[in-house]
Amino acid sequence: MNIPKDKQKQADICLLLESTYPYVRGGVSSWVHQLINGLPDFTFALFFIGSTRDDYDEIRYELPDNIIDLQTLYIMERDANLTPRAHKGDKTVYAQLEQMHNHFRDGNRLPPELFSSLTRLLAAPRELSLKNFLYSEQSWEKIRHDYLQYCDHPSFIDYFWLIRTIHLPLFALASVVNKVPKAKLYHAISTGYAGFLGSLMHRVHDKPFMLSEHGIYTKERKIDLAKTTWIADQGNLFKTGMDEHIGYLRTVSIHFFEALGKMTYAASQPIISLSEANREKQIIDGASRDKTVVIANGINLTRFEPIRKSRSNNPPPVLGFIGRVVSIKDVKTFIRAIRILCNHLPEAEGWIIGPEDEDQEYADGCKTLANNLDLQNNIKFLGFQNIDTLLPQLGLMVLTSISEGQPLVILEAFASGLPVIATDVGFCSGMILGDSEEDRALGAAGVITPIADPSATAHAARELLTEPGKWKTARQVAEARVDRYYDESLLFERYRERYNKALN
Amino acid sequence: MAGIGFELRKYLESDSYLGALKAYGYAGIIGAGPWILSILGVMLVGILSVSMQVDAHSVISFLVSVTWLMASSLMVTGFLLLVFIRFVADRMFEKADAIILPNVVGLLLFSTLISGGLASLVLWLYFPDQSIFYRILMVANFVALCNMWFAVIFSSGMKQYHLIITAFCLGYLTVVVSALSLQHKGLEGLLTGLLIGHCTLLFFMLVLIFREYPGSSFVRFDFLKRKNIYLRLIFIGFFYNTGIWIDKLLFWMDPATSEPVIGPLRASVIYDLPIFLAYLSIIPGMAVFLVKIETDFVEAYDNYYRAVREGATLQKIERFSKEMRQSVKEGFSQICKVQGLTVVMIFILAPAIINWLNISPRYLNLLYVDIVAVALQVILLSILNVLFYLDRLTAAFCLTFLLVVSNGLLTLITLQLDPVYYGFGFCGSMLISSVVGIWILRRTFDKLEYHTFMLQN
Repeated sequence: MNIPKDKQKQADICLLLESTYPYVRGGVSSWVHQLINGLPDFTFALFFIGSTRDDYDEIRYELPDNIIDLQTLYIMERDANLTPRAHKGDKTVYAQLEQMHNHFRDGNRLPPELFSSLTRLLAAPRELSLKNFLYSEQSWEKIRHDYLQYCDHPSFIDYFWLIRTIHLPLFALASVVNKVPKAKLYHAISTGYAGFLGSLMHRVHDKPFMLSEHGIYTKERKIDLAKTTWIADQGNLFKTGMDEHIGYLRTVSIHFFEALGKMTYAASQPIISLSEANREKQIIDGASRDKTVVIANGINLTRFEPIRKSRSNNPPPVLGFIGRVVSIKDVKTFIRAIRILCNHLPEAEGWIIGPEDEDQEYADGCKTLANNLDLQNNIKFLGFQNIDTLLPQLGLMVLTSISEGQPLVILEAFASGLPVIATDVGFCSGMILGDSEEDRALGAAGVITPIADPSATAHAARELLTEPGKWKTARQVAEARVDRYYDESLLFERYRERYNKALN
Repeated sequence: MAGIGFELRKYLESDSYLGALKAYGYAGIIGAGPWILSILGVMLVGILSVSMQVDAHSVISFLVSVTWLMASSLMVTGFLLLVFIRFVADRMFEKADAIILPNVVGLLLFSTLISGGLASLVLWLYFPDQSIFYRILMVANFVALCNMWFAVIFSSGMKQYHLIITAFCLGYLTVVVSALSLQHKGLEGLLTGLLIGHCTLLFFMLVLIFREYPGSSFVRFDFLKRKNIYLRLIFIGFFYNTGIWIDKLLFWMDPATSEPVIGPLRASVIYDLPIFLAYLSIIPGMAVFLVKIETDFVEAYDNYYRAVREGATLQKIERFSKEMRQSVKEGFSQICKVQGLTVVMIFILAPAIINWLNISPRYLNLLYVDIVAVALQVILLSILNVLFYLDRLTAAFCLTFLLVVSNGLLTLITLQLDPVYYGFGFCGSMLISSVVGIWILRRTFDKLEYHTFMLQN
């Protein structure tokens, strides 16, 4: 789909999207799509920040009419016009950078005037340009000095390339501050590079800027540093994958993104998170408390109304797993839990609902495991399905993931009157047990289990399925909780309010 | 001259005085060998044929023709010499060995066509009074020499230095023998002898090359592709050879210092003889240079780049960089000591040598100046070599350009002055270029790590 670029019209809000909507599917993308659809009274421009063009296919969503512009920037692509040229570089600029790094190292907040001054330098074409960063002697002296001072990773070339790789996108972003779609308000959907661009837009163009954070960026960073095309010969840095590098280099990249987070927090008003728990994390990471706000995800309750109504209080002994069949979802733990459950409840079934093509090898492994555990009649691999037809047939929803954000399927289960057993990851416990004081008073809408613990999952399922009182209470809590806290009209209302406040 | 290091180290590691002496001797022969042998060979032909009552004019014509052939062929091949070495080095790095030999053949074919055409044109236009045989022989010798320089520079990239020296000994022995046996034919006879000798030498070189490299096809011209041609290398090669010959050319051209010998070819006896004698004195300096560069320097160089590539600490990388710098520094100081000592010894012995060779004492002053000048030339050559290793082509380009300009200008000035000042142009130019070169090297090493990391593509 091609968006005609209407230059006369300025969008109300420009969303800064790092490797997510509209080119990548996922929870955050669905949320963005839902938000834009839910707020037809605002116009949106999208600014998509990706790694390299090749990493993305076509647009994955049908774009709503209130999106009036879509621009992209690929920050890991090399600018072919760059040729190395030796030059000195500006001492005073690098002295300021040194100051900035020292503030970050000491865990201090950056003095606003230093940040403003550096932002101006970065946005100006000369003093702190990409060429300067790549080729100047001052830049070299800084890298050298920092390595000798702080780095205990033995390989200098790894350190050198890591420093270059993580910083290069900042220059790419600074170079587009005048090309990002014009808008009255900038809204980043993560910290990281998107948040950094938002803070640049705020400092350079004096535009209001707000941030919505769905997870912890340093953990869920979407852009793979190894994708960079900047480096012809990266040494050994990315061969084993950055994340397997323990020690100092990993710390450097985490600190770097934490620093980007701090810059983003300093510039954005408000700082929105999905839950109280995430809000506390933001405050620990440097967000000032008075700017933080919690706006939880929401769901269209009317869609699930019929399912909820038709559901009886005698749950069928069917456990549903809804999600992609990939290792991060730990489907094997789900299968093992079914095995344990079947030892007591032979009629119990486990339905695995979700696409299997992403990691075929893992999906095959799951099937083999089910066979080996003699579960041919109890486990069904249903593939990708419309959940509206399946939700009524389930008795429990189970999530065994080893990592999650705020999974929408839990809300969908709640809305359809289904209790949930989930591992203690992401925001699952906040959803099942309650987030705020008041929320927790409602009770438990299911059970939280440790990760990779099939017997705990089986035990929880057996209890809920065999003790109708428990199941019924959980169902009631689930329905009450989703009605009170996770109605999407609440989400739209709160964002409408925030947008209006920022726009006026 | 990569690859010689290993053999030298073997000698040095035997850790005895004799071992060291052998290493230096070996290096001296290899470094200066081809140069010395060609001068010695041609002079021997001259001296012996005079004693065999060949008429003086033929002998002088022969010597002058050969000198011009040498100078012009070196300058012409200078254009492509370094470019081709680089081409071969790059292909070896890519492990594309199989296309090297076809390109060598291509190069020799190309060189034959260009040098043959060029020489024919010049001989036809400017030598109308000479015999047809003379003209054909000059063209043939020119073509043979051009091909020979390519073969020499190429085969010195292989590890068989002793075979190259053997080939040179054989080649010049053939020159002497065949020239003398044809001396009764006069100038043409001597030139034919020279041609036979050079062809023999070229043949030996080609055998060495063909034996060493596999070939997938017979002839290829990849080296002429634009992407394989480093413009700076073309100019460096041309400027260097022109830079060390331009003073001689100017002296040959100036009517006050030269006389016509054959056709348009002129010679400056007063200028030429001392400089050829002086070149014989560079053996010790070249030896020291070779040993130092090819052992300590190359070892530090390898360590440095390996440390960079394979992820060593910066401390280690900087230490290897320092070691590299140190080895170059020591190399220069040793060249200075050894060549200095040689200069002093020749200063003392010069009158005796001049007397023994029965040469006029008028040459003495110029010999002194030239001895110092060629010593400086050894240093300049070392500097250029280090710059090549570090791939600082722009610096090498500037340095060789400075050499041409300063040698040309200073020589022109000295030509206006009293004969006492002859040679000071050449010597001054070498001094200026060496000092500037050392300054460039210092800066290069100061910023080596910066260059290595920040300015790579």
